[in-house]
Amino acid sequence: MSTSLDTRPALGTRKRAVAARKRSRTIAAGVLSLPLIAFAAVFVVYPLITGSMTAFQASTLFDLAGTFNGIDNFTSLFTSDGFAKSAGFTVLFSAIVVTVEMVLGFGLALLVNRRFPGKKVFFTMILLPIMVAPALLGIMFRLLLNGDIGAIPALLQGLGMSVSLFSPDSVVPLLIVLDILQWTPFTFLIIYAGLQSFPSELLEASAVDGAGYFRSLFSVIMPVLTPVLFAAFFLRAIDALRTFDVIYVLTAGGPGTSTTTLSIYIYKAAFESGDFGRAAAAALIILVCLIPFVPFIVKRIASTGMEKTK
Amino acid sequence: MLKRQLMAGTAILATAVMLAGCAPASGGTDGDGTGTVKMVSWPGPEGEAMAKVVEAYNDGQGQDDGIEVEMVLLSRQDTFSKETALMASKSSDMDIYWTASYNVGQFAASLDPLDGIDTSSYFPVAVDGLTYKDELFALPLDVSNHFLLYRQDLIDALLADPASVEKYREISAEVLGTARDPKDPQTWDLDDYKAMAAYFSQSENPESPTEYGTILQAKNLLYNTMVWNDVLWGYGGNWAEDGEAALNSEAAEKAVQLYADIYTNKWTSPDSSQAEFPETQAALQSGSAAFAIQWSAAFAALNDPEQSPEIAGKMAIAPVPGGQTHVHALSVSLNKYSKNKEAAKTWLSYLATPDAMTQYAEAGGIPAMPDVLEANKAINPAFPQVSESIAEYGYSEPVFPKTFQAYSKLAEDLSGAWVGQVPAKEALEIANNNLQDLLG
Amino acid sequence: MTVIEDRPVTVRRRTPNRRRWLFTAIVGAIALLVNVPLLNAILVSFKPDGEIAANPLGLPTAPTLDHYANVLYASGYDFPRFFANSAMIALGTVIVVLAIAVPATYAIVRLGFGGRWIINSASGLRLLPAIFFVVPFFLLFTTLGLQDSIPGLIAANTFLNLPLAIILLAAGLRDIPNEIEEAASVDGANVYRTLWGIVLPILAPTMVAVAVLVFIFSWNDYLFALVLSTSNATPVTLGAANFITSTGIRWGDISAASFLSTLPPLVFAVFAQRYLVSGLSAGAVKG
Repeated sequence: MSTSLDTRPALGTRKRAVAARKRSRTIAAGVLSLPLIAFAAVFVVYPLITGSMTAFQASTLFDLAGTFNGIDNFTSLFTSDGFAKSAGFTVLFSAIVVTVEMVLGFGLALLVNRRFPGKKVFFTMILLPIMVAPALLGIMFRLLLNGDIGAIPALLQGLGMSVSLFSPDSVVPLLIVLDILQWTPFTFLIIYAGLQSFPSELLEASAVDGAGYFRSLFSVIMPVLTPVLFAAFFLRAIDALRTFDVIYVLTAGGPGTSTTTLSIYIYKAAFESGDFGRAAAAALIILVCLIPFVPFIVKRIASTGMEKTK
Repeated sequence: MLKRQLMAGTAILATAVMLAGCAPASGGTDGDGTGTVKMVSWPGPEGEAMAKVVEAYNDGQGQDDGIEVEMVLLSRQDTFSKETALMASKSSDMDIYWTASYNVGQFAASLDPLDGIDTSSYFPVAVDGLTYKDELFALPLDVSNHFLLYRQDLIDALLADPASVEKYREISAEVLGTARDPKDPQTWDLDDYKAMAAYFSQSENPESPTEYGTILQAKNLLYNTMVWNDVLWGYGGNWAEDGEAALNSEAAEKAVQLYADIYTNKWTSPDSSQAEFPETQAALQSGSAAFAIQWSAAFAALNDPEQSPEIAGKMAIAPVPGGQTHVHALSVSLNKYSKNKEAAKTWLSYLATPDAMTQYAEAGGIPAMPDVLEANKAINPAFPQVSESIAEYGYSEPVFPKTFQAYSKLAEDLSGAWVGQVPAKEALEIANNNLQDLLG
Repeated sequence: MTVIEDRPVTVRRRTPNRRRWLFTAIVGAIALLVNVPLLNAILVSFKPDGEIAANPLGLPTAPTLDHYANVLYASGYDFPRFFANSAMIALGTVIVVLAIAVPATYAIVRLGFGGRWIINSASGLRLLPAIFFVVPFFLLFTTLGLQDSIPGLIAANTFLNLPLAIILLAAGLRDIPNEIEEAASVDGANVYRTLWGIVLPILAPTMVAVAVLVFIFSWNDYLFALVLSTSNATPVTLGAANFITSTGIRWGDISAASFLSTLPPLVFAVFAQRYLVSGLSAGAVKG
């Protein structure tokens, strides 16, 4: 960590200059932040306010006037079990996929982090799944996995395995595998990039004797890599908690509500039931529940060193 | 430090509050009766046929009227979501919305009633389905219903071979309790449907030419509620009796149980728990299922050698077993917040003429006008059958404001039971309570 | 092959060549595995309609370009325009995101503006389901006249991607030693000159990495595009969905459209690959 320099003993004659510089820095801070402030005011705070207001209104397709109805939307969320069930499924689903994606992404990053022929091509190929729009990927999966005309069932049947990927017992594991296939490349990318700051000799040398490899992995690499791991974890976790496209296209949340994520629940509340108040209330609850975790994680990703520049 | 935080926060908040003051203007206007009319549509035969009608209008009468119609295509899965968002924001973006008899009640608050348009040429049932609180909120455009689509070659082989007939009697005795003779699909009831599903499944009959007898559409999706409704009605059930939810009936239980039996006995692919229209097509196209209850629009593709080389020419069409088919009309409605209502109405009046609907039929649509269907048999041999099935077998679900929600809710509540995950009675009890709430 | 073997292998020749090829095989297999859906889409996009159902596994026996023709012109959809829209939206978002996030992150990290809560709340925003903002955005855009316009979708995607950009840029900035800026400042350079002349060049790899990710994510956006565009600003993701029709999904056409739509982000990523890694690694080691 760089040592802070601005507590450098100021020579008496330069005291005024330092004060002037400090002032100009304050002004600069404001000027440089102006675009963000302007953008946030128009496109973040305003929608946030109107959206939050909707959560306290009876706002449906039948009555768009949006009359204030107190906490009715919230009580209706907590009295029917749909919201809680989808929250439970979302948390479980996210916990599994993010954990597996972190482990696999880390492992893959260690595997790729060496010289071997064809590395450049395969590296790019591994990143490809990130570049397919999730909404289109869902449709691709629908064809790929179709029991009658899909390639995967055809392949498995060719190997003598009788499969039904979409039966109620196998559909949740299937969705988990699909998410892992699409998003392990993302954790891989972030972690691999982080690994680049280690001298590759260290990793390759220790790879020769197996036991030493894992010891150095845990004692040397892991501690230094922590911020990167948190960044990968955080970016992936917030997206996993919003999982929508692939699951919606493949199962629409069913059978019953067994694969309904929070995003699907909210989508259906708004667009199938036309109940915008309930949808906004659900979104607000999610925000309030998750916000406390944010500072904790952000601190580990970006200890920005601003403490020393105040 | 704190002061700066406050400054930043205040600046953001102040701007936002200022902005919140200017809410978008709302409320539609009549306009001067000319100009561009924007209309939502979806891709598929309906949208393609409509495109031809629009083109002809823009080149012909539209010139005289001083109106140009512009179509906005949205994918089938997104059309109603997008319209819901537009309506929620009281948008004047679109002048004409794409609606259907199952959601016109839900959308009515954002639509203008269509008085003064001549609707005498339509099927009365189609017009009734779009009438809400005694006012017409949409013009019928295209009618959809279900048929039993089946493999004529396989049925013929069964009927012609005594050994197969004997096998069928054996299986039907097992499945139904009493032995039956195989029948022509034109006369099937739901028991025949069930026994045939078993007969054509390798789990029951290792010599079956198809792996599964049928394919159920059991995904948690509102359109699949419509298909299941055929079975419910076929057993004599109904959503509601005298305004009271009636899904606790014996008929409803039989209808759910039929699905569950077919699913758990593997007379349909285990994947059909996530099947809808495209999966049903795939099962028939690949020859893995012998028959299915499917939408009327599906037949053309199945008999097209380009698209379905394995089965084209072998498919035939029959009324849904049990004799009941869901019918709905796709329709067009006038946005209450449109800024150009006069022009939009002029175009809608044109659409309501037999001439426009004849063009529509010629371009591949199935218009909701009996005379047009009758006169254009040459275009599509299925027209008379559509006409007949709507007149004889068609039913419409009760029209109430929350019909659309009820379809979705029933799919959610029952899709688990359709595939045997939840006992039929238990699922129906929940569904019945929810339906009662929605009926109000 | 020979090219690789001829390449001067540096001092570290501890791993024998055969073992290197083993890694090629393993990583190659993984690279294939994660791309099965895309590879399948490519195969399907060359199969005639009838063959898609009949021959799910094999190579196309009678390859056709019909689906590409449908996507590009024959279907009546203006796909070239959808592509142009997507490109303008994605590039515009990259520019706006960087223009907003770079100075602001600098002000937050180095000049102590606003404190960490701005980063916290910016990251927190990404937690809200996009649906929450859909209707408010719609109202806002109607007021501002941004409905169904490229600038409108740029604004929406900027909103979605700012958190990611701020987090990554903050991590990158933190790694640039304070001394460099201090030295510049002592030499009389003001904050703006320091930022422009000294910090930006060092931060460039991180900015490229952010640009690539933002490009990919805004290219792939679906929900905001669905609500905020109708015809003028329709991007390619939404256009591809038009092959989901009321009589089923046109598998061949939508496969071709999906494949084509992954090419631009891919090209972008390939050209920026070097910076993608070095830019993201900038924030890795902290003392």
